[in-house]
Amino acid sequence: MPRGHSRNDGDAGTSSPASGTFEAEILALMPTLRRYSRSLARSDADGEDLLQDCVEKALARRSQWRGVNLRAWLTTIMTNLHRSGLRRRGRHELVDIEESAGLPSEEKDGDPLERSRLEAALNSLPPESRAILMLVVVEGHSYRDVAEMLEIPIGTVMSRLSRARLRLTNLMNAGNVIALRRPK
Amino acid sequence: MNERPPAVTEADLHAFADDRLLPEDRARVTAWLDDNPEDAALIAAWREQNDGIRALFAPYAVEKAEDGALLRPRGEAHRRVWPRRLAMAAAAAGIFVLGTAAGHYGPPLLSPPELRLTALETLPRQAQSAFVIYASEVRHPVEVGADQEAHLAAWLGKRLGIADLKVPSLQTLGFHLVGGRLLPVNDTPGALFMYEDATGKRITVLIGRNENNDTTSFRFANAGPVETFYWIDGELGYAVTGDIPRDTLRRVAEECYKQFPT
Repeated sequence: MPRGHSRNDGDAGTSSPASGTFEAEILALMPTLRRYSRSLARSDADGEDLLQDCVEKALARRSQWRGVNLRAWLTTIMTNLHRSGLRRRGRHELVDIEESAGLPSEEKDGDPLERSRLEAALNSLPPESRAILMLVVVEGHSYRDVAEMLEIPIGTVMSRLSRARLRLTNLMNAGNVIALRRPK
Repeated sequence: MNERPPAVTEADLHAFADDRLLPEDRARVTAWLDDNPEDAALIAAWREQNDGIRALFAPYAVEKAEDGALLRPRGEAHRRVWPRRLAMAAAAAGIFVLGTAAGHYGPPLLSPPELRLTALETLPRQAQSAFVIYASEVRHPVEVGADQEAHLAAWLGKRLGIADLKVPSLQTLGFHLVGGRLLPVNDTPGALFMYEDATGKRITVLIGRNENNDTTSFRFANAGPVETFYWIDGELGYAVTGDIPRDTLRRVAEECYKQFPT
C-alpha cells in the first residue's frame, strides 16, 4: 500500500524496535492507525498529533493490554483520546518537519471540489458519529466490534451510523451540485 | 418505506450497503430492493458515499520514517528532540516554502480544506448575486454596451490579465449581447457579460481568477429559481447564470466553454 512514502531513514531504521516486541507490533499497525487518526481529525497536522498521542499513551499503558487484538485496543485508545478532547497540543517536541510535510497528496485523485465538499461535510458530524462511520467504512470493522471498542450498545452504533449518513447525504445534496459530462 | 415488513429493517439496509450481511440475508434484502427502488437508491447513495470517504483517507495508510523513533525507548527518542522554538521556526519556514511550491505546482497541501472550499464555492454564489443585482437593472444593466463590444473585450481582458479575451457569441442559442461590466470576484477583478433573448430574458456569464489553478468538471448550483452552471479551468473560473430552463442554460454553458480559450 505505501507508494513512495515508506522511506528507509537510516536513523530510524537502525533503532527500530526488534521484531515480535510490543513496539514492533505497534509499528506494523502505524499505517492503519495513521489512516484512522486522520479520518477523525480535521487536518493533517491534527491527525498526526492524535496519532502521536495515541502511541505515547499506548506505550505508557502497555501493562493494561490484555494481549489480544492490539489494533482494537489502540483504536479504543485513539477514539477516546479524540473524543475526550483532553489531548494537549504542542506537547510533542519531536517534530520532523520534512516528514510531517511529506503528505501523500499526490496519491489523492478525483475532483478537488468534491473532496473538499465531502471533507467539510464530515467535519460537521458529531465526533461520536464520525468515529463510527470511519470505523465501519474506512477501517472495515463489524458493527459488533465497533460497539465493543466504543463500549456502547449495537443499537446506538446503528442509530448514529444512520444519522451520520443522513446528515452527509443532506449536506452533499445541499449545494445541488451534479457533475456533468464535459463537452469537447 | 412504510410498508416494509419487519423482515427488512433499516439496519439490514446499512449492513447491505456495507457488505456485512450473511449470504442468506443478502438474498432476502436483494429481493426486497427489487420491489423498493427508493431503498435501492438509498443504498446506492450510501455506497457512493462510502467510496468517497475511503478514497479520502486511504492515502494516509502509509509508514513514515519517524514512526520508528516514536516507538523507541524514551532516552533515545529524546536525542532527536528539537528545541521547541527552533522547531516552530523551522515549521513556519517549511510551511512557507511548501505553500509557495504548492501555489505553483498544485493544490495547497497545508491549507485547511474549508478555505479551499470557500474559494471554489463562492463562485456560483457570487455569480448568482451578480445576476440578481444586475440583470434586474432596467436602465444601467451594464457599464459598456454591446455597441462597443471590441472595447469591452479589450478592457475586461486587460483587467483580468487575459490576453485576447473574446466575448462569447450566443446568437445561435437566441441570446444577444447586452454588454458587460467589471466586478470583484474573490476580491480580484472579474468580468460579467450579460445577454438577453427575444422575450427580454437575461442571462449572465461571469469570469473570475482562480488562484488555486485546478480544474473541475461542469457543476450546477441553484438558489431558488436562479440557476448556475460553473466550471474551473486552470486559472479561470466561469459561471453561467439565469432564470431559464436548465437545459437551455446548460447549452449556453457548453457554448461558452467551447468559445473560451483553454
